[in-house]
Amino acid sequence: MKDLSGAPETLVELTEISDQPGPYCMSFRFDLDPLKRSIDKFGLIHRPLVIENGNYKKEAVIGFRRVLALKSLKWDRAPMKVLSGDELSPSDLLLLNLYDNLSSRPFNDVEKGMILNRLKPHFSGEEILKEYMPLLGLPSNESTRILYEKLEELDMALRTSCADGDLSLKTIKALLEMDPDSRATLFQWIKDLKLNFNQQMLFIENTLDISNTEATSILQVLQEKPLLNIREDQNLNNPQKAKRSLSYLRRRRFPLLTRSEETFEKTISSLGLPERVRISHPPFFENPDYRLEILFRDGKMLEETVKKLAQLNDLEGIGDPWDEES
Amino acid sequence: MTNPPLKRVLVEEGADRFPSVSRILKRIEGIPVERVSDRKKEKMSGPLNMDKTSLRLISFPGEFLKPCPGTKGYICCGYQILNVGTNCPFDCSYCILQAYFNQPSLRIFVNLEEKLHQIAEVLDRHPDRIFRIGTGEFTDSLALDPIAGWSHVLIPFISERNNAILELKTKTNQVEGLFSFPQRNRIVISWSLNSPSIASREEHGAPGIRKRLEAAKMCQQEGYNIGFHFDPLVHIPGWEEEYKRTFEMMDKLIDPNGIVWLSMGGLRYMPALKAIVRKRHPKSRILVGEFVPGLDGKMRYFKPIRIQMYGFMAEMLRKWHEDLGLYLCMESHDVWEKSLGWSPKNSEGLSHFLDRRAVKFFG
Ligand code: SF4
Repeated sequence: MKDLSGAPETLVELTEISDQPGPYCMSFRFDLDPLKRSIDKFGLIHRPLVIENGNYKKEAVIGFRRVLALKSLKWDRAPMKVLSGDELSPSDLLLLNLYDNLSSRPFNDVEKGMILNRLKPHFSGEEILKEYMPLLGLPSNESTRILYEKLEELDMALRTSCADGDLSLKTIKALLEMDPDSRATLFQWIKDLKLNFNQQMLFIENTLDISNTEATSILQVLQEKPLLNIREDQNLNNPQKAKRSLSYLRRRRFPLLTRSEETFEKTISSLGLPERVRISHPPFFENPDYRLEILFRDGKMLEETVKKLAQLNDLEGIGDPWDEES
Repeated sequence: MTNPPLKRVLVEEGADRFPSVSRILKRIEGIPVERVSDRKKEKMSGPLNMDKTSLRLISFPGEFLKPCPGTKGYICCGYQILNVGTNCPFDCSYCILQAYFNQPSLRIFVNLEEKLHQIAEVLDRHPDRIFRIGTGEFTDSLALDPIAGWSHVLIPFISERNNAILELKTKTNQVEGLFSFPQRNRIVISWSLNSPSIASREEHGAPGIRKRLEAAKMCQQEGYNIGFHFDPLVHIPGWEEEYKRTFEMMDKLIDPNGIVWLSMGGLRYMPALKAIVRKRHPKSRILVGEFVPGLDGKMRYFKPIRIQMYGFMAEMLRKWHEDLGLYLCMESHDVWEKSLGWSPKNSEGLSHFLDRRAVKFFG
């Protein structure tokens, strides 16, 4: 590649430079203010590199954000390095931008997707997987590449949340597999309830499963009155809304399991267990063994607790809760 | 056109020297053949394409006979898996093989005959044990048999041994090929059964239940002992009535006295399979139901649902015939007790139960 360190600088009219992200731009979701403050205080330390573009006047190869900051600061012109259209190949220009960015900041996920999409016409799949994905801190596999490439197709709100790290990649993957309406509705719920990563997947999975089980659409599931009521309830804060919505969906998704859990809890609480004694069921009741826990400070306390336990009348009533129901 | 419909045959380097390759190629004359390096990983045309129209002939370097690994926390039957090939021409929505994308295309291990002596050595080392051997773990035992000719090799081999049973597990009705052998001893032909609607909706490309049962009837008439596997049982609305339709057909077509064993297993799947099923089979109903993580990490129906299903099935089947060699596949002691009214307690107990069935039928 050509050495550009000594490339001459020219004063360029800012109106001559496109303010649309061009084919070399790898920036999404950035805050111009710090950059503006820095330019205001110290001037333009690093010169952008622009290229003459046949269609438009000039396009930023390196320093797109700086160009925007300058424009926003109402500068008329600024010193820049200017390349003519044929000095470097498009793939070299792309790599120039990539390495320049890599040395100065981390990329968010949307930007990583943008980079992979831009590399695609110039490099083989193998090269992208082996060379560039590790460079971006991504595992070198095909499914990750496909997922990241698709991020750029998301609508703006989703892309923004993704770039801000509000959605897990698992969530994004699941959303990408849906039709646009379902995706938008689910995303709105996730946003409104401010679900954490774990909750996002539970919410999506249970909604999908209910829709599959009942052969209804995702939109219909999310239109259910009790669910809407939770979202609209002014007396609940967000974590409470999140918890209740998830529990509503779980109950819909696992009616027998949730009923069994409730029956079990009821049985245990009706026993009047001594203090510091807990009886719990195995996860999902799959293992046949129930668990008894006694907290005690010394042997005397243990003896007393065990005596109290032995005096309880209804211990025999503990068993698989579905047997109790039938 | 071959059945299954094949577009190409890939003969891996090193496979050519086995005589079975020329026999196989003769059976599918006219299909384009490519010689490929054994290390060349077959690129999939899409992430979910299992490429079931390509047939790969492979010299399998591993052990052919291996004990079924079973599954943690549940009672297993002590089966021996004879690995003769992988993948199958059908496309069941619940098929575990869908999760193995790095192994596309139908695969036949062409060095089976050359490895028979190793299998014989294993069997001979334990003359007092009964080896219940099956080829239907990673493929359908009979769907590729007209091409692979596995039965030609295995039926005579097992028939003359005293401590082994060969079970050919299938969903096909292509059984005529089996009638050309004189041997019947120590061979069980078994069918995977389901409700007719699950078979037609979820077991793509496989013959319907009636056809399978008619094939079973033919095998019985030809003197074979048979088995059935209600696996996976699928809990969808109206399942009882659906399974009753299968029982009615069994009653009409099958002599229950010739059934060596009949197993039941509720649908279970590795968590990773869920996304694959959603993508490959968007209309599938198999994910419907209350699935919870089992002790082995696989998803399975919430326990009372399994107990209810097995209990119902067992009641129906026992009404039909008391002595079917009924057993549960990968279930826990308490589920056995509550649904069948007895339990082998552990894997050893189940092995003994099935060994006794084998002895009852084959001595
Ligand atoms: S018949 Fe068996 S191996 Fe074939 S697709 Fe169905 S489950 Fe998979």
